[in-house]
Amino acid sequence: MPVDDIKPTRSGLLIVRRRMALAERVHRLLAMKLDGMMLELIKLADQAARDRKELEEKYAAAREMVAVAAMMEGETGVLLAALSVEAAPTYTAGQKNVFGVCLPDLEPVMVKKTLDQRGYSVLGTSSVIDDAADAYEDLLEAIVASAELEGSIKRLLDDIERTRRRVNALEFKVIPELVEKRRFIEDQRDEMERQEWTRLRRIKKIKEKRAEKP
Amino acid sequence: MREHEHEDVVVISPSCIYACTRFRVRKTKLLPREEYLRIMRMSMPEVVAHLGRQEDYQDVMDLAGDFSGAQLIEEAVNRSLARSFRNAMVIAPGDLHTLTGEYLARWDIANVMAILRGTVHNIPRRQVRDLLIPAGEVDSALLDHLLDLATCSEVLEALRGWRLYPVLAEYYRICGERGVFARIENELYRCYYAGLLGLAASGCSGCRELIAYLRFEIDITNMKNLLRLHCAREACDITVVDRTMISGGRIPLSLFRRLYGVETEEEFVNIFLQTEIVPILAQAVRELRQDPNFSSIDAAELVWRRWHQHRRPIHEVEIAITRVRLQQMDSLSRRQPFSVLPVLAYLERKKYEVANLRAIARGKAFGLPSERIWQYIVM
Repeated sequence: MPVDDIKPTRSGLLIVRRRMALAERVHRLLAMKLDGMMLELIKLADQAARDRKELEEKYAAAREMVAVAAMMEGETGVLLAALSVEAAPTYTAGQKNVFGVCLPDLEPVMVKKTLDQRGYSVLGTSSVIDDAADAYEDLLEAIVASAELEGSIKRLLDDIERTRRRVNALEFKVIPELVEKRRFIEDQRDEMERQEWTRLRRIKKIKEKRAEKP
Repeated sequence: MREHEHEDVVVISPSCIYACTRFRVRKTKLLPREEYLRIMRMSMPEVVAHLGRQEDYQDVMDLAGDFSGAQLIEEAVNRSLARSFRNAMVIAPGDLHTLTGEYLARWDIANVMAILRGTVHNIPRRQVRDLLIPAGEVDSALLDHLLDLATCSEVLEALRGWRLYPVLAEYYRICGERGVFARIENELYRCYYAGLLGLAASGCSGCRELIAYLRFEIDITNMKNLLRLHCAREACDITVVDRTMISGGRIPLSLFRRLYGVETEEEFVNIFLQTEIVPILAQAVRELRQDPNFSSIDAAELVWRRWHQHRRPIHEVEIAITRVRLQQMDSLSRRQPFSVLPVLAYLERKKYEVANLRAIARGKAFGLPSERIWQYIVM
């Protein structure tokens, strides 16, 4: 029932009071959730900044390793080793719940491989290929971790925005309207009570006058 | 080439003398140190233009339409390498021809494995074609024919005449089987070394030195691969070590097996000092670091530190060892000018000339400083 449709009666007042209690409880809970999400966001943002820096370092290291590999083995050698890989690296996508928000949970699959899993032969390659493969595996793992973290931050930010709108709506719209409505109903009821009192008093006076007259 | 020994007098055939002289002349035409210094100072277009003026690298002009930059240089030097090695096969007479063919079979292994992997994994043929360097006995025509074949059974059938076909047939029985190529390639290389050592043991001028050179190469390869296996993410069992080690080196495989299980410095250094790798390694590090006081014990401790930290060999040290080995090969070939050694000295020098040009091009393309690139140059 919209607030405007509530009648200024006792039952109307009870409805408004119940709604206000509910709105204040929801507001308190959402405000707490917002604070919690903000704390989580700050934590994730710090970690994401660290991870991004680490990712850039790993990218630079991987580029350098592949440069050294291309220098020692030639691009041909590097590509031949790359063609030997039979299991492509991938990830599994799950979800984890933080303050009611579904955050991505990415798990790298077949990213870090053993020498056997890489598919190239030890005798046909040199250690520089291992180093380049290691560096790129580390980079891929860092990319997956960074993607998970940045995805989490994005979703958390969306939810913070949504929750903040709800908190603001409750704080500046719903609760003030209910307060206004309660005051209106109480005023109306007071007015009605005064009218009733006045009416009774008037009737009483009329009755007294009639009684005084012989 | 065949030696005729009559009452301690070694008679070398004129064709061998002629061929060896040609190889020595070819070796003198390889790029000298000053040329590398000049190339290092050039920009990439200048390097391309400079190589285009060289007799050996005129392919750079033919390929300029399809490739550019470091890729163009790499393609051109690869072609030059393939052409030089095929010419070497043509020049080498008799036993020298057989030995050269056997020596160049490593390129065939790389090419055949690339084609097999490409066929099984459905990699576009053109992409595989770009990776082949027809520097071995399997020539371009046969490689093109292999690339045109649709299934790996057809590829295997077409390779029946290849000298390493029996190994391929033995280890690759189920066509299209995945996850076995690494093992097959390892076996091919093991057989390659066994074949080369067997051929060298048949007796020829310089074969004794060649065997010593090959055995040291095997030792170095085994030691490097042992370090690689040791620093792999998952500990491998001794059967994997056995499958990866090449037999025929001076260091017995049992010593590598022992070394793989060692976890104390004293034991490791003691075992490692017994190997003949130590003096060469010490010499290489002395030259690399310009440190005359670097001893064999320092070298053994250097390897121990890498071993203990589960780290792979230092690439600059690997290159330094290659430099020392090439110097030894050069001095041996000078001592025996009419033997198999000048041929192999030329082939090795040519291989590293190509590797040097490729390293310079790639290093420049990645923007590495000249001092860093210089560490990867083998002269």
